[in-house]
Amino acid sequence: MKALIYLTKRSFINNLKRAVRKPSTLIAMIFGIVYGIFVVFGLGTLVVSVHIDSANGLLAILAVWSIYSVLGNFMMYSSRKGIIFRPGHAHFVFTAPLNPKLVLISSAWMNYVLSLVIWLVVGIAAFTVFGIQPLRALLIVFMGCVLELALEVAVMVFLYTNDNIPEKLMKGIRMAIKVFLIAFALGIVLYFRTNGLTLESAWNLLDLPALQIIPVIGWQIAVYRLILLGPTVLNIVCSILYLAVVAVSVIAAVRMKCDGGYYEDAAKFADDYADIKNRQKNGEMVFSLSGKKRSFRRVREKISGRGAQAIFHRQLLEYKKERFFFFDKFTLVAIVIAFVFSYGLSDAAVESGAGQLFLLGVVAYVSLVMSGYLGKWENELKNPYLFLVPDTPLRKMWYATLTEHIKAFINACIICIPIGIFWHVPVIEIIFCILIYVVIQADRLYTTVLAQCLLGDVFGKTGQNVLRMFIQMALLGVGAGAAVMIGVFINIDFIFPIVLIYSMMVTVAMGILASLRFDTMEQLV
Amino acid sequence: MLEIQGLSKTYGNNVAVDNVSFSVPDGQVGILLGPNGAGKSTIIKSIAGLLRYKGAIRIQGLPARSMDAKKVFAYVPEIPNMFDALTVREHIEYIRMAYSSDITDEEVDEILREFEMEDKQEKLGNELSKGMMQKVSICCALAVKPRVILLDEPMVGLDPAAIKKLKEIVLDLRNKGVTVLISTHMLEMVEELWDIMFVMEKGHIVGSYTKKDAEGRDLDELFFAMTGGEKE
Repeated sequence: MKALIYLTKRSFINNLKRAVRKPSTLIAMIFGIVYGIFVVFGLGTLVVSVHIDSANGLLAILAVWSIYSVLGNFMMYSSRKGIIFRPGHAHFVFTAPLNPKLVLISSAWMNYVLSLVIWLVVGIAAFTVFGIQPLRALLIVFMGCVLELALEVAVMVFLYTNDNIPEKLMKGIRMAIKVFLIAFALGIVLYFRTNGLTLESAWNLLDLPALQIIPVIGWQIAVYRLILLGPTVLNIVCSILYLAVVAVSVIAAVRMKCDGGYYEDAAKFADDYADIKNRQKNGEMVFSLSGKKRSFRRVREKISGRGAQAIFHRQLLEYKKERFFFFDKFTLVAIVIAFVFSYGLSDAAVESGAGQLFLLGVVAYVSLVMSGYLGKWENELKNPYLFLVPDTPLRKMWYATLTEHIKAFINACIICIPIGIFWHVPVIEIIFCILIYVVIQADRLYTTVLAQCLLGDVFGKTGQNVLRMFIQMALLGVGAGAAVMIGVFINIDFIFPIVLIYSMMVTVAMGILASLRFDTMEQLV
Repeated sequence: MLEIQGLSKTYGNNVAVDNVSFSVPDGQVGILLGPNGAGKSTIIKSIAGLLRYKGAIRIQGLPARSMDAKKVFAYVPEIPNMFDALTVREHIEYIRMAYSSDITDEEVDEILREFEMEDKQEKLGNELSKGMMQKVSICCALAVKPRVILLDEPMVGLDPAAIKKLKEIVLDLRNKGVTVLISTHMLEMVEELWDIMFVMEKGHIVGSYTKKDAEGRDLDELFFAMTGGEKE
């Protein structure tokens, strides 16, 4: 255990030292803390403004928390993904003469710290916002930090170390929990539709005895009821049952034999997690930790094209091997955006008589939303072969990013055509909007390359993104401002061609500058 | 002594290792050879306790997963994975604590000096090159003062001086009665080290030789004779 404490303590101290030395990390940490405090105060204000700053209000929040945290924890731990292991664990910890159960419990220290912080905030809020007596607030903190955490750790140990439960059964239970959670959420929606979305109906829902009878989750809610609202026969019985469950779970977890069977899953998780962290560090948006290998379609095709053209044809072949070709999660986002705006704002847009300007606004908004997206071109710059291809840097850049322009065109069509039709936007202006979207996306690509060139790794991906946004907003903002002025004072029809031509000029200039990055692998900084 | 009895491991429907048995006696260097995908890494990871398996693995007569067995066992993986926020010295300090190793500061300094790492002691894990990580990995394994040591492709990424030093250390360990098992593709690198060799193919041991049985034949000659390939 001493070795594990040493490992955690030294890692924490060294990480802290490194963070203080690196300005970007320090700024991010300070920003995170300030933002966290802001969110807590914001939630406190929200609670007061919607009139749930009472014992019943806190009980409602804790009831929802109980349902989702207990079941959520079960799902995470049963798939052996709830604790963050690093590849270093597989090398130095799993092979060492350390009790696997202790390794498991000590590795979850971040979960404990997070729980402690959350419950301290809940305790303070209980006293200050919800008007709960200090002793009761302390009991709430005790309940969260000790009993709930003890149950969580026991469940974690049980699920990680138990190799006797068949994986198929676990999958079935996880699926059932998902169905239950969705059904529960739908049930709540249905209840409020039937009974009206009022505080009274919410309190009535909370008072349903059936809620407290649900094993474990309901019993946990009963303990909170006992602390916050005082004793009833039902909540006393259910609280005793909860205490018994916690005690039995802890005893079972202590007695459970474990020879480190879970190391196999934990080592795989560590590799998957490291891969995801690496991808995130490179600016990629990663949605889930599936751990599954990507499957590709079989395509037998020769790569044609000479010089830099071969880069484009290779990318095209790669996309053909993807399950959905050019279409990915962002295509879905584009469809959702098109659907929401087509239906949601069509009346307002048509009535205003300036649907085309609304559409231009949507294009600008979506360009901002999708700014975190990276495509295959990003990886091209990490590949030495790109720089060895006997062609000009400008052509290399063009062909390395051509598939992205095609994808941007597809997304632009998905967004602009339905919205344009529903909003009665003239065809020529829909075409302008599509082209403007493609050009803005191209500008984003080239400005990203330029930001990489100027900053290198000094300020990380975040610094590069901030600089990229600054350059892009400054340059395109000037054009947009000028176009609006001309539109207002001369003719509104000039806005679209001016925005398009100006954006194209800026994009071509940025492209020529960015092409320098395709000359040598070495960066300017 | 390292004993593997009836070891089997499957991934879904794929049998990676099928009922494999072999042993490396005390004070001998065993070499595990085989083409890619033969199942070597699966065996190595099973011995290191990183996989679930069927069968029995014993280290100095003790079940491999027992704490007593782990205390005398050291492992150098093919790809070293450092803790990003731990310095080289802290990695070794952690090993000393985890294994309750009686290695002294002077001995740690000596190991680091042998691998030309004495001036890199304060470097963090994420500041090391792959070769340096491999050296730290070997230093950590030696800090255990093991009775059985497992080295998976230990020469990969090492500079010539470090390879020479590692070979000397392996021979030194053998002379001290330590059991060594090396998994490698680099046959010429282990030519002068081995006492017993095992060749794997498609999850099975297809043959083994002791140095005496080999009657002076090269490792690659023996290897290609067993696997049906041609010696270049």
